[in-house]
Amino acid sequence: MVVRPYNDELRYLEKVSDHCWRIKKGFQPNMNVEGCFYVNSRLERLMLEELKNSCRPGAVGGFLPGVKQIANVAALPGIVGRSIGLPDIHSGYGFAIGNMAAFDMNDPLSVVSPGGVGFDINCGVRLLRTNLYEKDVQPVKEQLAQSLFDHIPVGVGSKGIIPMNARDLEEALEMGMDWSLREGYVWAEDKEHCEEYGRMLNADPAKVSMRAKKRGLPQLGTLGAGNHYAEIQVVDEIYDKWSASKMGIEEKGQVVVMIHSGSRGFGHQVATDALVQMEKAMKRDKIETNDRQLACARINSVEGQDYLKAMAAAANFAWVNRSSMTFLTRQAFAKMFNTTPDDLDMHVIYDVSHNIAKVENHMVDGKERKLLVHRKGSTRAFPPHHPLIPVDYQLTGQPVLVGGTMGTCSYVLTGTEQGMQETFGSTCHGAGRALSRAKSRRNLDYKDVLDKLDQLGIAIRVASPKLVMEEAPESYKDVTDVVDTCHAAGISKKCIKMRPIAVIKG
Amino acid sequence: MLSLKMKLEVLGRPDVDIPVVMSDRKEFANTVLWLEDQKIRLYSIEDRCKLRTVDNPEIWKEGYLKYCADLSMPPLETRQEQLAWIVSYAVRLDFLDDPDQFASINTKQVPPQSNGKQSQQRVQAIFDGNINTQEKAFVDGVRLLASKLNVPHHPNHLLQLEAIARVVHERLSPAAKDRKPVVGKPFPFDKGNDVVSSNDSALDLPMRILRLLQIQSLRELQTHINETIVAVQNITANPKTDTKLGKVGF
Repeated sequence: MVVRPYNDELRYLEKVSDHCWRIKKGFQPNMNVEGCFYVNSRLERLMLEELKNSCRPGAVGGFLPGVKQIANVAALPGIVGRSIGLPDIHSGYGFAIGNMAAFDMNDPLSVVSPGGVGFDINCGVRLLRTNLYEKDVQPVKEQLAQSLFDHIPVGVGSKGIIPMNARDLEEALEMGMDWSLREGYVWAEDKEHCEEYGRMLNADPAKVSMRAKKRGLPQLGTLGAGNHYAEIQVVDEIYDKWSASKMGIEEKGQVVVMIHSGSRGFGHQVATDALVQMEKAMKRDKIETNDRQLACARINSVEGQDYLKAMAAAANFAWVNRSSMTFLTRQAFAKMFNTTPDDLDMHVIYDVSHNIAKVENHMVDGKERKLLVHRKGSTRAFPPHHPLIPVDYQLTGQPVLVGGTMGTCSYVLTGTEQGMQETFGSTCHGAGRALSRAKSRRNLDYKDVLDKLDQLGIAIRVASPKLVMEEAPESYKDVTDVVDTCHAAGISKKCIKMRPIAVIKG
Repeated sequence: MLSLKMKLEVLGRPDVDIPVVMSDRKEFANTVLWLEDQKIRLYSIEDRCKLRTVDNPEIWKEGYLKYCADLSMPPLETRQEQLAWIVSYAVRLDFLDDPDQFASINTKQVPPQSNGKQSQQRVQAIFDGNINTQEKAFVDGVRLLASKLNVPHHPNHLLQLEAIARVVHERLSPAAKDRKPVVGKPFPFDKGNDVVSSNDSALDLPMRILRLLQIQSLRELQTHINETIVAVQNITANPKTDTKLGKVGF
């Protein structure tokens, strides 16, 4: 990595508009394209401070600052357009979380990188609506939180309550949500309202190691730990009344359930296995990158194809996982209100993936090109009339579900034409960390965090309270800043804001 | 309205105020006369005298009705439809005067399988070749049906037949009659998140309508898919849970 004084570094950065910065070539060696990132004034300060700190002499260890990571991605072979940082960006393994990059499928040198997808493959958010209102749920929210907690096992090492054997798992990996449909865990309409219709067709369970399958089998239908959660939320604000009504959200106070989870240990193992393979492939094909963590392989190489097939299987795992939790949530609500999920109108509004690589067609320099789009901590946000979004959202644009931090708020956005042109139809995914986990543990006390939630009137059930400060709102950027930046930059449009009344997490 | 204005401009009569032509009988009469004088020339100059008596409504009307009949215009009710038909007729004559002039546009922009041909094939396939769809009786039948159901006129009767089939399917079939009325708040279709072509309303409106029709047929397809999935689920579904398996982590 090039080490320069902070002021020299700044010469490579240029503010092009109120909400967008450009990273010029030369900021990191061998950049094939330029980089850019979207911020408002507050996020900008965080971003530049991080860079400044890393320029201090003797600053070693930890991840590179986010800006540097965007630039390193811009140096990968086959990248087209720009390497893009979304407002919630923070440093991660190789790629920053909140970085998206697209690679030309027709360029034989183009690469796929597991670091550009992340370890929690197809981590994503699903939103269920109900026809209940806050007044119906407030009196029973403690019982409801408990019931959800009983139905959906959480935490590290948790095990699910849906019986599965090895053969079921193989089928689920291949079929994704179609497996959940066949077994009757979800409704036909759920599939319709899910990115990719809940199934990646190129999944090949044979490309997944035994070890990953062993880790994954007992974990289906579990929420996991870390930043994953299930929240009962109420609609707090509606910005776009018409789009909201297309999603079945009519009024403030309506109750919805948000599930944020991924592919658990299964995805993690798939990513780990791939990284080992790719290091070998890089040596063989002489692929040079600026950062060792950016291990990658040519898309058309055996390693690249094996990874894409295994990643697709992990994506299917995550969809089955979220589907199983949808089933369990419906059961918990139905029991609590002594009715059926149908009568509670518990439809899936949408299900987004924010850690995934997908083949998509985009316009680049006026021509349609087939690209492999990596989105890590970034959500797809397609505009109205895009053929890959459900028919019900053809006029509104794709719903984008942005989960906030525990105890703050979450948003639903919609995709825009401008986002399609500027960011390959991508936008933010959440709040984005501001403090590392270790730093949060040092700076905060878990009792304070829990007390604060209590004061806000939020029921909480948590498997490991002593780690809860890692996920405290103080450890994250302000999700409202993030969402407002995306809205102001025009890469997606604000539609609904929700606030939590009950949380369960690992 | 806009397409009418454009066609008149193409024919060399610019600055026409269409709403005025529609509401003012005299303006309407002048426009028709201009079309006959300059473009259509169905009558000899002497025969046009009745059309020329713009100031006497009764004589003019008599002459106009005869003119419509002589042009073999289909029975159209409103002046707008009638004028649209006459203008289109004039455009066609103008085109046939020198088709070669437009040859370059033709070959590039019209796909080899034009709309008319496709519908002809579709209709023929339905009748299994037992009926000659070009026979006069058949054409008359389609025209009659169209006027009964208020389907707008189209020079290709087979295309019109398809439109009739759609109206029957959407409005008159038993399934459509039993359908529950759509509930919910209507939303003006020109106000969505979708940008079409805001500075060109002549393009904007038809595109929005076409897109809505496309969405409607997509919705139908998706509903069929969902129904099929549910039918299969009735055979395969057997969701199970076993709370004994559950384990909360740390």
